[in-house]
Amino acid sequence: MGESWIQREFLAPRRLVFNVLFYGAHFALFAYGWYSQATNLKLAGLNSLKFSVWISRGAGLVLAFDGGLILIPMLRNVIRVVRPRLTWLFPADENIWFHRQVAYSMAFWAMVHTTAHYVNFINVERTQIRKERALDIHYTQPGGITGHFMLLIMLLMYTTAHNKIRKQCFEAFWYTHHLAFFFMLGLYTHATGCFVRDQADPDYISTFPFYSTKHCLGYLSWRFTIWPGIIYFGERVWREIRARRATRLSKVLVHPSGAMELRIVKPSFKYTAGQWLFIQIPELSRFQWHPFTITSAPEDPYVSIHIRQVGDFTHALGSRLGVGPSVVAAMTSAAMKGAEKDDKTGTRGDFVELDPAITSITLPQVRIDGPYGAPAEDVFSSEVAILVGAGIGVTPFASILKHIWYRQKKGKLGSLRRVEFFWVCRDAPSFGWFQSLLQEVEAAQADPNFLRINIYLTQKIGEDMLWNIAVNDAGADYDPLTLLRSRTLFGRPDWKTIYSTMRQAIESGQYLPGSTSQLKTKVATYFCGPGVIAKALKEACVENSNSSVEFSFAKEHF
Amino acid sequence: MGNLIWHEYTRLISITANICEWIISPPNESPSNNATDAVWAAFFGLFYRKFFWDFVGGTLRDPGGLQPSPNAALFVTLIVKAPIIQIISMILGFIILAIELPLPAVKQFSVYRSLVVRVVLLLFQTFFSILFYQGTNAAIWSLIAAMCYGRAIMLGETMTEAKKNRGRGGEA
Repeated sequence: MGESWIQREFLAPRRLVFNVLFYGAHFALFAYGWYSQATNLKLAGLNSLKFSVWISRGAGLVLAFDGGLILIPMLRNVIRVVRPRLTWLFPADENIWFHRQVAYSMAFWAMVHTTAHYVNFINVERTQIRKERALDIHYTQPGGITGHFMLLIMLLMYTTAHNKIRKQCFEAFWYTHHLAFFFMLGLYTHATGCFVRDQADPDYISTFPFYSTKHCLGYLSWRFTIWPGIIYFGERVWREIRARRATRLSKVLVHPSGAMELRIVKPSFKYTAGQWLFIQIPELSRFQWHPFTITSAPEDPYVSIHIRQVGDFTHALGSRLGVGPSVVAAMTSAAMKGAEKDDKTGTRGDFVELDPAITSITLPQVRIDGPYGAPAEDVFSSEVAILVGAGIGVTPFASILKHIWYRQKKGKLGSLRRVEFFWVCRDAPSFGWFQSLLQEVEAAQADPNFLRINIYLTQKIGEDMLWNIAVNDAGADYDPLTLLRSRTLFGRPDWKTIYSTMRQAIESGQYLPGSTSQLKTKVATYFCGPGVIAKALKEACVENSNSSVEFSFAKEHF
Repeated sequence: MGNLIWHEYTRLISITANICEWIISPPNESPSNNATDAVWAAFFGLFYRKFFWDFVGGTLRDPGGLQPSPNAALFVTLIVKAPIIQIISMILGFIILAIELPLPAVKQFSVYRSLVVRVVLLLFQTFFSILFYQGTNAAIWSLIAAMCYGRAIMLGETMTEAKKNRGRGGEA
């Protein structure tokens, strides 16, 4: 199993730094909250409750901190703008991961805080330092009511956000997570009851915020934590406005393998290669936004996405466009057999265009939101780019390869000298559309050394197929499976060997002529696909980095 | 759209409701480690004993706090004088957790795969935990879990026997 859970979660250097800062900040705040309560002479009355009130106040401060943090990683547009400048500081692409860490921490401190308050209230009732019952505090005062509501909302949000449930039914997660709106309202108003005060009765006033800060001595944390909430709300509004701008679905192409290519024209939509967008098709669902990778290059006059019919949303879209699952299944199986190959020209069959002018099909209205960031935008800042796509994870590289091709034509490649493209997949023929794209890019290469395409087929190969390949492959100009000039390799790639070979080639100057004059060659790896390959790649990168060659690694998330 | 498997979802609520407060699910690991309310509440109920419904007909004294009405003497005996209800609730919580998480020893029995048993246990949990001061959230959450399991039963969901000999995730 490789490294243990402890090693992975606590001891990896970056994790260690994160843990120290993140949990250190939490404990420091807890300690400060405790101390400031326990030593505040004005709050002597409350302090007669002893430990429980100190703990609840400490945990309360920590929760305010978490409440302020929880929305920050979800400010997608802000992150997109900020991340190119801050990649060195924190992995901005790990925003969901950070969101989860804050949520876990929040759950823990909510437990501490609630438990302490249960003890507080029962003691208030017993000692009558305030003339009220525990029941009144729990269910009639703002603090108690919002607190219990937030706990219930957390129960629903956390359980539906669980990995398994989210994959099973994304809608359950997505809709339930919008309870966050009420959760945040609860958070900001949690202290309005003037609970922390130096007198027996709350000191309410008639103007905002409706309590006097003279006697209400809470942290007033809402003054700080409300800002991420306001920014997030503004961002959602902005996304809505942006999504309403003129958008037209101009064409739908159905590729032989069954993938649908949607070409959308939206003049206000600016993006860079490797980014992704959210698409909404109001006819199918009024509220759902689905993420897809952009497959067109910024130079193209349209924005395109490729959609395979795998989930219920994509199936519904297929049926809407008249290419339902049965049609696609037929096309896919034909593609798997290679039936669409045209013997005369050696290229595969062409796509079918659904053009509303010719066919009776009308195209649905679409709305798109984005673009959102992905690490592969930074391709042009390194000398060598290694692009690794696994399975469907190859999609972002369609845009990147096209973009590189456009830039190559214009002679504006930045410091990029060579591109190694790896595609690891189980059954290449089912990605026919991508192969046709690769074909174009490959055919357009003037310098045979600039782009190298390596395709690894990992499925088990039957005897028939083996002989088929052997017969067709020998002496042919094109690979029989992919119809590319590059040959398909079989089996899983051995990353360590590939990387160390590359390092040696760079060091000896064979790989990049003239690179020896440079101080350091930067080789950037961009990967999109499952985690196990990411780990193997990262290890290979770390192992082969030295003073003359620097391998970096970035993973894209969906 | 989307196909929620209710009993798999409810399991998470049920676990949460029964541990008493909270959840730490390591990312990408099998769902587990949800802590909960009933057990935790019952644990604190051992030390701070209070009949939740004592405000019904009770009198508030200063000092002394809320004095339950004489009609509630039975509950005062079972909750305040001796924490019987809390202990029952805690044991029930552990039983539910043993089924839900599940405890390896429980996995082999067919009871482990019965949704009806869960509903019954959760309703009992609701009943017991509503009686003492700390148990209100556990009661509400257990009720939600019971209702969701009810929904799962209505939809005809069943739990299948675990497959044997499953491989582990490897490396690339």
